[in-house]
Amino acid sequence: MEKPNNVLLEVQDLKKYFDTPKGKLHAVDGVSFTVERGKTLGLVGESGCGKSTAGRCILKLLQPTAGRIIFDGEDITNYSNRKMRRLRTEMQMIFQDPFSSLNPRQNVMQIISEPIYEHKLIRGRKEIEKRTLELMETVGLASRLINTYPHELDGGRRQRIGIARALALKPKLIICDEPVSALDVSIQAQILNLMKRLQKDFGLTYVFITHDLSVVKYFSDDIAVMYLGQVVEKAPADELFENPLHPYTKKLLSAIPLPIVAKDKPKRSLIKGEITSPINLPDECRFNKRCDFRSEVCLERNPELQEVSPNHFVACARVQEFM
Amino acid sequence: MTENILEIRDLVVHYETDEGCVQAVNNINVIIGKKTILGLVGETGAGKTTTALSILNLVPNPPGIIKSGSIILNGVDVLKLPPKKMEEVRGNDVAMIFQDPMTALNPVMTIGEQIAESVMIHGERSKEKALNRAREMLEQVGIPASRSGDYPHQLSGGMRQRVVIAIALACNPKLLIADEPTTALDVTIQAQILELIKELNRKFDTSMLLITHDLGVIADVCDRVAVMYAGRIVEEGTLEEVFNDTLHPYTEGLFNSLPNLRKRGEELVPIKGMMPDPMNLPKGCAFAPRCPYTIDECTEAVPELKKIGSHLVACRRYEDKNFRLRRNS
Repeated sequence: MEKPNNVLLEVQDLKKYFDTPKGKLHAVDGVSFTVERGKTLGLVGESGCGKSTAGRCILKLLQPTAGRIIFDGEDITNYSNRKMRRLRTEMQMIFQDPFSSLNPRQNVMQIISEPIYEHKLIRGRKEIEKRTLELMETVGLASRLINTYPHELDGGRRQRIGIARALALKPKLIICDEPVSALDVSIQAQILNLMKRLQKDFGLTYVFITHDLSVVKYFSDDIAVMYLGQVVEKAPADELFENPLHPYTKKLLSAIPLPIVAKDKPKRSLIKGEITSPINLPDECRFNKRCDFRSEVCLERNPELQEVSPNHFVACARVQEFM
Repeated sequence: MTENILEIRDLVVHYETDEGCVQAVNNINVIIGKKTILGLVGETGAGKTTTALSILNLVPNPPGIIKSGSIILNGVDVLKLPPKKMEEVRGNDVAMIFQDPMTALNPVMTIGEQIAESVMIHGERSKEKALNRAREMLEQVGIPASRSGDYPHQLSGGMRQRVVIAIALACNPKLLIADEPTTALDVTIQAQILELIKELNRKFDTSMLLITHDLGVIADVCDRVAVMYAGRIVEEGTLEEVFNDTLHPYTEGLFNSLPNLRKRGEELVPIKGMMPDPMNLPKGCAFAPRCPYTIDECTEAVPELKKIGSHLVACRRYEDKNFRLRRNS
């Protein structure tokens, strides 16, 4: 039966807590979002905000503490590893560091074809080699590199291998965890263009996890900004950049160093302090200690995400005053 | 004494390995005046860090060899100094901060002791005075002096980088070299550290060489910019000249690769291909194989850094008076 809507991934109230000697660490604390087919959701935030943990929970590489993950209409939250195995072909991941995520003792052919063997997608050596070469062409790797090892290649090419490997199983969803952060700008642009082209050609859906707001603006349809395990603002990309409402989002945007020299260049406003500990959080706004607009209401309870204009969600007790 | 804090003249540095000779730095000239912040921008493998290590005379040897050139720091050629004298120069005249603040700090010493240690190596006899100086420096970089008994693991990444800056500035160096000082930090923390660097530059009158791949960071902090490619400086000028009147095709390519200058969803314009192999540099301009403006002359000889209009550029296309980059037309 055809699905009534176009949603590929739905995450509802996702929570992941870790037990630490000091108490419960709230890595992801009630995150919800949906991603439509062929679209990109950007998940943005600083180190420790829980964006990577959320990504790993979606793929069930980590078992969520609570919440629901609905992939292509199926609730996969409590799927066993065996049941997940079938779905692995449909959801893949691209990692940040293309060096440590590739097996140094495998050559390009082995790395890219391993998932094909593993899932018995194609049989026969010849056929698999043909498919590998096809994948290499798709991601722009010269066929002569098929017998080289990762250490012989530069970062850009290594990341292309990671992408080819993720594409090998023809997935619907790819979780990209900082895929270009380790690359030089000129190579970064090549990889971003490639990923964008692949999305168009294969109808891929991306969840794009990054701390780099300029990359996310270029790449995403919707953006969710995370702070200490929670989404504090969520909106279509253009709307978020033009009309940020949460004080944290505003500060985050203002912190990007702009590569321009001009008299009317906006002055940056610094955020004070640093991210607080995600362990044993009190029931108050998690950003209040660093916020310029802190007041009594911020300490009453942890504000919920509310829709302030169509598709624009903000979790801030004082948001009406900023509109 | 000259007005300039640093003058690098015709510096050539090679790494001689079993596989061949890596031409890391190929005849560069750099001048940093008093209180100036010079940004050295380029991609991985451009020779930025080797240049910095040469100033400290710390190029790992073997395999690194400073083939020729001179580095005049505060009137003295550091390449001619005996090792003992060089140790005095490091810390007193020039100090360096590194990218990763965790590996730069000693994990089993308190941060106060680490700052005090550097003060004592450079002449302070009394441990008590050195520790006082350490507490003073911590306050300067925005850490409460009461935390001087903390160990590095008790601090966040941003605070660790503040400690590294405190150590570097404890002896009032005339030149501070910062090699990707904020690359490992989050944007909001990066903004704080850049602000601190600017403030300290004003307060202590320190000149600075800031190495980064991030043009945004350059625009924020620097007075002058030198763009490096394959071991050579291809463009140099004031911040405004390089950003608003870009001359070299490589610099233009760097700007075009940045996502935030383009409209959303539009295709980025990356520089095609990759950096040449530093063991096997092309005969002419090293950027020619990737350059959209290449003509035959470009591949014949290495272009010299020459003044074109407002500032310096190494590109033979400007022999044609009518040549303009697309960015400028």
